Amino acid sequence: MKKVYLTIAALLTWAMTSVAALAVDIIVVSHGQANDPFWSVAKNGVDKACKDMKISCKYTAPATFDMVEMAKLIDNAVSQKPKGIVITLPDAAALGKSVKAAISAGIPVISMNSGSDDYMKLGISAHVGQTEFEAGVGGGQKMKAAGGKKALCVNHEVGNVALDRRCAGFKKGFGGSVEILGTSNDPTEIQKAVAAKLGGGYDTILTLGAGLAGEAALKALESAGKVGSVKLGTFDMSPGMLKAAAAGKVEFLIDQQQYLQGYLPISIFAQYMRYGTMPAGVVMTGPGFVTPQNAKSVIKWAAQGYR
Amino acid sequence: MSDYLVQFNNISKFFGKVIALKDVTMKLRKGEIMCLLGDNGAGKSTLIKTLAGVHKPDEGEIIIEGKKTIFDSPKDALDMGIATVYQDLALVSLMSVTRNFFMGREPLKGPPFFKTFDIEKANKIAAERMGQIGIDVRDPSQAVGTMSGGERQCLAISRAIYFGAKVLVLDEPTSALGVHQASVVLKYIVKAASQGLAVILITHNVHHAYPVGNSFTVLNRGKSLGTYEKKNITREKLLSMMAGGEELDKLEVELKEMNRLSTN
Amino acid sequence: MSTKSKSIASKTDFNQDERLQKVSKLKILLNRPELGALGGAILVFIFFGIVAGDTGMFSAYGILNFLDVSANLGIIAIAAAMLMIGGEFDLSIGSMIGFAGICIAIPAIYWGWPLWMSIIFAFSMAVLVGYFNGILVVRTGLPSFIVTLAMLFILRGATLALTRLITGRTQVPGLRVLIENDPIAWIFATDTFKWLFTWLGSMNLIALRTDGTPLATGIPPSVIWFIVLAIISTWILMKTRYGNWIFASGGDKNGANNVGVPVGRVKISLFIGTAVAATIFATIQVLDAGSADTMRGTLKELEAIAAAVVGGCLLTGGYGSAIGAAFGAIIFGTVSMGIFYTDVDTDWFKVFLGAMMLVAVIFNNYIRRKVTESK
Repeated sequence: MKKVYLTIAALLTWAMTSVAALAVDIIVVSHGQANDPFWSVAKNGVDKACKDMKISCKYTAPATFDMVEMAKLIDNAVSQKPKGIVITLPDAAALGKSVKAAISAGIPVISMNSGSDDYMKLGISAHVGQTEFEAGVGGGQKMKAAGGKKALCVNHEVGNVALDRRCAGFKKGFGGSVEILGTSNDPTEIQKAVAAKLGGGYDTILTLGAGLAGEAALKALESAGKVGSVKLGTFDMSPGMLKAAAAGKVEFLIDQQQYLQGYLPISIFAQYMRYGTMPAGVVMTGPGFVTPQNAKSVIKWAAQGYR
Repeated sequence: MSDYLVQFNNISKFFGKVIALKDVTMKLRKGEIMCLLGDNGAGKSTLIKTLAGVHKPDEGEIIIEGKKTIFDSPKDALDMGIATVYQDLALVSLMSVTRNFFMGREPLKGPPFFKTFDIEKANKIAAERMGQIGIDVRDPSQAVGTMSGGERQCLAISRAIYFGAKVLVLDEPTSALGVHQASVVLKYIVKAASQGLAVILITHNVHHAYPVGNSFTVLNRGKSLGTYEKKNITREKLLSMMAGGEELDKLEVELKEMNRLSTN
Repeated sequence: MSTKSKSIASKTDFNQDERLQKVSKLKILLNRPELGALGGAILVFIFFGIVAGDTGMFSAYGILNFLDVSANLGIIAIAAAMLMIGGEFDLSIGSMIGFAGICIAIPAIYWGWPLWMSIIFAFSMAVLVGYFNGILVVRTGLPSFIVTLAMLFILRGATLALTRLITGRTQVPGLRVLIENDPIAWIFATDTFKWLFTWLGSMNLIALRTDGTPLATGIPPSVIWFIVLAIISTWILMKTRYGNWIFASGGDKNGANNVGVPVGRVKISLFIGTAVAATIFATIQVLDAGSADTMRGTLKELEAIAAAVVGGCLLTGGYGSAIGAAFGAIIFGTVSMGIFYTDVDTDWFKVFLGAMMLVAVIFNNYIRRKVTESK
């Protein structure tokens, strides 16, 4: 038994010396796990900004998409008294209490990625991200400039408010006729639904997700031989759609540039810590358009975790 | 007839097509130790389970203290004063002596709706009863698992007696014990009988049964080969009956005959 | 002892080894099931005290943070422990949490029921689910592991399907406004001892907000429930007849049945206990977040069982402690939050949970052998 105790004591001592914590300047509490392909890019932004700004940061997230867990993490962050907290705000009702506690404790909060509608009423200083409606407008304008007249907006998750806004913004920016095609989130079903519509004289298709809907729509166009005659654009990015853009098959991908969503809040806080400056309102990181012209370099940066 | 505490008249029990018991008759007086002998599969377990209320007999009747009785559940038998100590002893080795002693029949104290287990009283009684059999319970909360096999057997018997058993049915109480511990348990059984209990002792070990028993019933393949008072039977005869003695005798004769024929 | 002369055997017949001394009080203490968990909890606090001592983990706000997580887990861990002592498992606790949350939220938001009625509805469903689990296990004799595993899927599936059917989404928000003035909700949603924190704040002993009020406002409702349930369950196990029946049912259900313990009724009541505990957890969470979510509570049953095992409960039943499970929950809650104060990757928490459980089971096995060593 004695040997066991000694081993445990040794392990504990080793653990303690290697784990000793230092005070952190900025704590990021996100709903996106660091090993997720989308969020790892945002985390890279956080890490790079901390290095560039020469301050210390920590990126935390709950193990699953659990708002209760996330609120606990915000409370946890508050108790550490950082100089600032960056959060995502996917559910203002669930997270509101913790956010307000942070602000009332004198810790400034910046939100990123989600919550552009709610951040102000919680007292959050600024929001960094892409607002869905404006991004849709941008996409619509681009398709209009490309000559589109009759468009299909493929919504693969009807009832998701953010997605509804994307189509609504697109309609505004496009000007021409826009029909919303609601589908399930099954790729085969999406492909079939799009294919069925292709006889209706549509010259533009916008999908709201790249890997799922975008690639399914592309497959439908390819089977019908309509690539090029029907212009395809999508929100967000996927390796498949990036390749297609580089090959000229896709008009554009709307990149919300989550690298900036990670980078900018940190740099904003760094300036705030030094000089007390703070932007007012939403800092738009998107829409960033990935087109056949710049697709190749985006692919390169995506492979390194920056896009 | 009515000075018999328990009477089993022509009891039969079938499990589907299997005849576990056929026409078994057995009688027991107060203070009598009846040994139920028989080889494995003879039907001893079924017989005592029927007496304990686990099985209902398909034929025959059970008479307790002169009255015809039907047991619907083990609890009925228990209420009538028939306490059965099975081979597993119904003791939880992780629980203390006291908790085991009073399992299911815990003494209560306190106001209605807030009754609590009166552990102090239970500890006292358990220690006392254990002391009477010579077991010194140093720590009332010690687990039963720390006691030897013989101590546990005596605990189970003592529990049954404390809770008012009139008939004590013991299933192979000494089978797992060494000679010394077995003798202590047997002594306890004799003492219990001398205080008026009727005891049915199931065993396949005639050497343990013969010294303490007053009467012996031998079962063979579900049938009773008869009940014998001690003065009317010897240990050897019992042994041979249990091993199917008559058949072995016949076999011996046949073998002699075969031998004789083959050497001709 | 005057009865000595009447004994049929002398002391030396049984207690041959007179070298054995009287069992010391310390030894009795060391044999208690909750020892391991208490030791573990102390170790955890010392560890984090050294490693994260000045990070704010032990500020008032920080303590309430990990205490809240521990208390919530403790509520279901205590119920799981009692069931485990009674010889059974309930793997459907997590799904019940999600289901109960929806039982509160949908009637309140979609059918216009008052909140207190929805809460009572959720608890009634808990009793039904627990009774169903119990009756199945008792009547069929199937291992509770399987029965409640099936229930895990059934409940979670029903939660998802019904919620999507009625609401078209997987979350039901909007409950926060209903809490005020509700006659029952406050029991699950009110911070207590606010006066204490206000006083501590006024003495500048704890951190303050910019407006002068203390950052930590009060003891969360989960902590009060946790303490109350720990006291009640310990009292039941140690001091009541029913508690003895729980140990007996888990230790030897056939033997217990043979001496008159109503094993079936005991087990069914314990299953109702775990379902009700899950509902208490769900109610507190739903009112705290202001919303219900169909995926809440996923995998929580495993954490509850882990806490019970760390607390000294044998997986085979018949031995264990509710207080031990409470300490087990404190260990897990503290570590799950404490890890965020360090630079360690939070994925390591799962490794810690599993390792802790392994250590606890080995330790418990050792204790059990000591306790049941026969001479």
